[in-house]
Amino acid sequence: MSKTIFIAQEGPANALALNRDYSRVVIAGRNVFKIFAIEEEEFVEACNLRVGKNLNLNFSCNDVAWNSVEDHILATAATNGAVVVWNLNRPSRSKQEHVFVEHNRTVNKVSFNPVDPSCLISGSQDGTMRTFDLRTKVATNIFYSNTESVRDVQFNPHAHFLFASVSENGNVQTWDMRKPDKCVLQFAAHSGPIFACDWHPESLWLATASRDKTIKVWDMATAKPALEQTINTIASVGRVRWRPSHKFHIASVALVVDCSVNVWDIRRPFIPYVVFTNHKDVATGIAWRGDPNVCLTTSRDCTLYQHVFKDAVYPAAQVNPQALAVSPQGHIAFASKVPTTLSTKDSKSQGILRRNTPSANEEFSQVTSSLNFLSCSANKEMNWLIHSAQRYILTGKPFSEICDHNASVAHSIGRFAVGMMWSIIKTLYNGDDAEEATQFKSGQAGSVKQHQLPKIKEEANPTSGSSSSDMVVPVTQPTLNGLKTNGHTVPNEADRRYHRRPNVGSGDAQESVGDFFFGDAEMDPLSMEFEINHLDGLISQDWTLLPEAFELRQDIQDRSSPPEQFSESDSVDTMEEMTRVSEKWKGLSVADPPLPKIWNEKNCLVEALKQHAANGDVQTAVCILIALPAARRQLLLDLIDEHDQEVWLLAYISLLNQHELFTHTNEIVKLAWIPEVNQLNRQTTYIKISCNQCNKPIPAGSRLCTHCNQSITCSICHQAVTGAYVWCQGCLHGGHLLHIQAWLSENTSCPTGCGHQCEFT
Amino acid sequence: MFESHSVSTDHKDLIHDVAFDHYGRRMATCSSDQFIKVWEMDSDNSIDGGWKLSATWKAHSGSVWKVTWAHPEFGQVLASCSFDRTAAVWEEIVSEQNIYSQTGQKHWAKRTTLVDSRMSVMDIKFAPKSLGLLLATCSVDGIIRIYEAPDVMNLAQWTLQQEVPCKHQASCISWNPSYTRPEVPMLAVGSDEAAAAGSSRVVVLHYSSYVRRWHKLENVPSVADPVHDISFAPRLGRSYDILAIATRDIRLFSICQLVGSAGTSRFEVTPFATLEDHNSTVWRVSWNSVGNVLVSSGDDGSVRIWRLSKQTSWKCVGTIKSDGRRLLLPEVMNAASLTLAKH
Repeated sequence: MSKTIFIAQEGPANALALNRDYSRVVIAGRNVFKIFAIEEEEFVEACNLRVGKNLNLNFSCNDVAWNSVEDHILATAATNGAVVVWNLNRPSRSKQEHVFVEHNRTVNKVSFNPVDPSCLISGSQDGTMRTFDLRTKVATNIFYSNTESVRDVQFNPHAHFLFASVSENGNVQTWDMRKPDKCVLQFAAHSGPIFACDWHPESLWLATASRDKTIKVWDMATAKPALEQTINTIASVGRVRWRPSHKFHIASVALVVDCSVNVWDIRRPFIPYVVFTNHKDVATGIAWRGDPNVCLTTSRDCTLYQHVFKDAVYPAAQVNPQALAVSPQGHIAFASKVPTTLSTKDSKSQGILRRNTPSANEEFSQVTSSLNFLSCSANKEMNWLIHSAQRYILTGKPFSEICDHNASVAHSIGRFAVGMMWSIIKTLYNGDDAEEATQFKSGQAGSVKQHQLPKIKEEANPTSGSSSSDMVVPVTQPTLNGLKTNGHTVPNEADRRYHRRPNVGSGDAQESVGDFFFGDAEMDPLSMEFEINHLDGLISQDWTLLPEAFELRQDIQDRSSPPEQFSESDSVDTMEEMTRVSEKWKGLSVADPPLPKIWNEKNCLVEALKQHAANGDVQTAVCILIALPAARRQLLLDLIDEHDQEVWLLAYISLLNQHELFTHTNEIVKLAWIPEVNQLNRQTTYIKISCNQCNKPIPAGSRLCTHCNQSITCSICHQAVTGAYVWCQGCLHGGHLLHIQAWLSENTSCPTGCGHQCEFT
Repeated sequence: MFESHSVSTDHKDLIHDVAFDHYGRRMATCSSDQFIKVWEMDSDNSIDGGWKLSATWKAHSGSVWKVTWAHPEFGQVLASCSFDRTAAVWEEIVSEQNIYSQTGQKHWAKRTTLVDSRMSVMDIKFAPKSLGLLLATCSVDGIIRIYEAPDVMNLAQWTLQQEVPCKHQASCISWNPSYTRPEVPMLAVGSDEAAAAGSSRVVVLHYSSYVRRWHKLENVPSVADPVHDISFAPRLGRSYDILAIATRDIRLFSICQLVGSAGTSRFEVTPFATLEDHNSTVWRVSWNSVGNVLVSSGDDGSVRIWRLSKQTSWKCVGTIKSDGRRLLLPEVMNAASLTLAKH
């Protein structure tokens, strides 16, 4: 079994040739001309032909050929235009037998006729080919290719009087040796110079290698050669050589860039079947060593290599056979290799090469991928995102209404957890603008948490808008009252617990009162303000009441502990008041009983938001934060890392953007509480407005020209325009969108009478 | 849940990559047949899963390994990389004379060819938009290259910002898509070199804005088998990043970035989960846009869908088997939908 072996030389070889029984190899270059015996483990130098007194240019070789019949005859193509014949049996040190000086320019190629050992042909840069008779040592014929230069000539192994030549103008010619005056046929094969050609050992195929980075296989059996296959390679192809006993395999080496030796299966013209990557520079010559699994190459890196298939790289085995992508909508595209068993079935009808019997390498050649698109028709998460983004209300309405609306949105699409979240938020923070009420309410929620957790769920589920709101605001008043009265009547804690239930109940019972105050449907900002004031009054009244209840010290301590705790836990803006109160209490409370642990709703809420965000639902986190009143939001934000907030916002914005919800994106950007995020929509586009009267720029955000002190007016009604202003690009006149539209439906000229034929597009 | 549609691509060899654009409206495929094809969503078309071929062109003179879309802010821009040792940037342009007509002739023009690599370029990815117009490539010689287009309007000019040599031949690259200040940009590279005993096949680079260089993270756990694909999960609200690695199985690393007071970052990379259900080489991993669902495909011919359950364990919530030509619709998908609903 052969091994991968190599030997380094003093200079690069341009070509190599094997003898008849593949036991010896000759390499030839400008400065090297040697014969090696191919041993099991190494190359052994058998003969150095570059000896003699005057090493002239006859020793500088472009190509070398070994006579396939007479084992001692070699021929070289010299760079000076000479064709030199070498006889290894010559007794003298110099083996040079004869020099034919016929060509005017360098000789690119020499070949022996496969059946007639005395017939030698050469192809030269001068555009001619010549045949020589080695017995008579005369140049027998000259063939004019009518091209600038001939790069390769090869005898047809199936008809030895025919040969093919390729030239730098991209043409292939076939010649009959007996008819030197005219070629048999000629065709343009490539768009660039052809550097080499090779006849298939079995079929009537000719492979051509070109600078246009392709190898083409031509079927020469017909009168008009048919292109069988094109192999696209990554670099200019310098040499090609069919692999013995593998019909579809051909080896190639590049002229530049690619140092590897590629063996292609022409049925799969995109990925080489086998690659030998031993060379450090481009390879210059290929020869198969009879055995289809061993080949020899020379390279510009001055080495001679013997490659064996078992050490080769099989690139197709390493390439990625699958492709996978997930779209923003959750669809999946998946491409994978089609197994061979399937592909052979229906590829019979296509495939130009199918008429030939498939070889053992069938598996390599028949490779395709199938692409499947998995459309995710009901991707809940993405639908949720889009649906919610489109229907959530984040601003412009009272908080409770926003919450109710958003909760019902969440419920309508089956996100009960998120819906409940909105409901809870509302329960916790409704009426937040009245800070004291909030204080109370959070206490209320605390008590609910302690005693009536099931109840809150009951209420959250239906979320029929107004009905659940009763839970929150309306409760405040009655319960305040209840607390007060209870405080006076109920002495110990156990009883207090007992009485608290009815408190909440009473709140529920009096929901009509609540609706009267805070009926969602009728509520508008003005009345809200009024209510707030009213409540404020109520509560401050309440606060002032407390110190008055002095004689019932014990009771008051007990009773009023909830307000005190709320103020601690909630630390809402009324700091002054709280300190005032607590100071008062310092004076009052001599023996504080341990305060009941109060549920801190903020921490829970923040945890919940973080949880949602961590699960990829930044939407809920961002929307809740945006919907919250500013003061309340700030309290929550204090508990959230500033960086996280920004990340949530940006993530949500980019998600919306990805789903082409641009208006919603912009809404979030506008409503965002972080100034850096607000600036996002100013980064890319802005419009400078100039006054249409004096042409001076109008400051951003203003509609008043500072120069002429006039605001932008409508050309038709002469009123200032505050909404959409449309103007003609030609005469700069314009006005209210509706006015201009109406005007232009009947007229074509400018409404100002400036005579311009306005165009509004 | 899923409907499977076969798309007849008419690629003549293996398809190596498929990529959706930012909005999921267009799809690009690339193949060893040296062609790139761009598909457009066409809901009227029930054949080919609603995808209509919009453009097809021979992009390289070797196998095209990967194709990737730039953010649409930069235009309709694709980048591709190939066995022919080059990477290319393509832009779709509308012919000048028809610019006002609805049926303006569109075609893809090559804007630049990046020829720095001396070996096959295995992967190419655009950086997240917030970093500007940046491209990262990795090649078989193990060199990661980061290119920048200093002028986003001029796609023909790219400057090589940095070359980072790695020990092993690289196979895949992934940007961390969720970059926000003060954290630093990150880039992960996987190697599929078979004979790389003992050393890590996953390299994570982070950008140091002080010296304006990319540096390797030191403490990345090693992966024992060739890495075929690598993908950062979009982070959204999570406090750490997840890196999915396709190797003999699926590895998940969590990368926690601790931003110090002086603007210096410390990284903690810890193995997070190993998903073995494929029982064979995993070729591709891909995240959904929210980063809570991982989709993978392997030599077993199936596509698996994974979801984080109960904060700790990843569960395969869906398997789509394939007989090679078609995907067989899964019976387990109901379980997946249940899990989705529960969320």
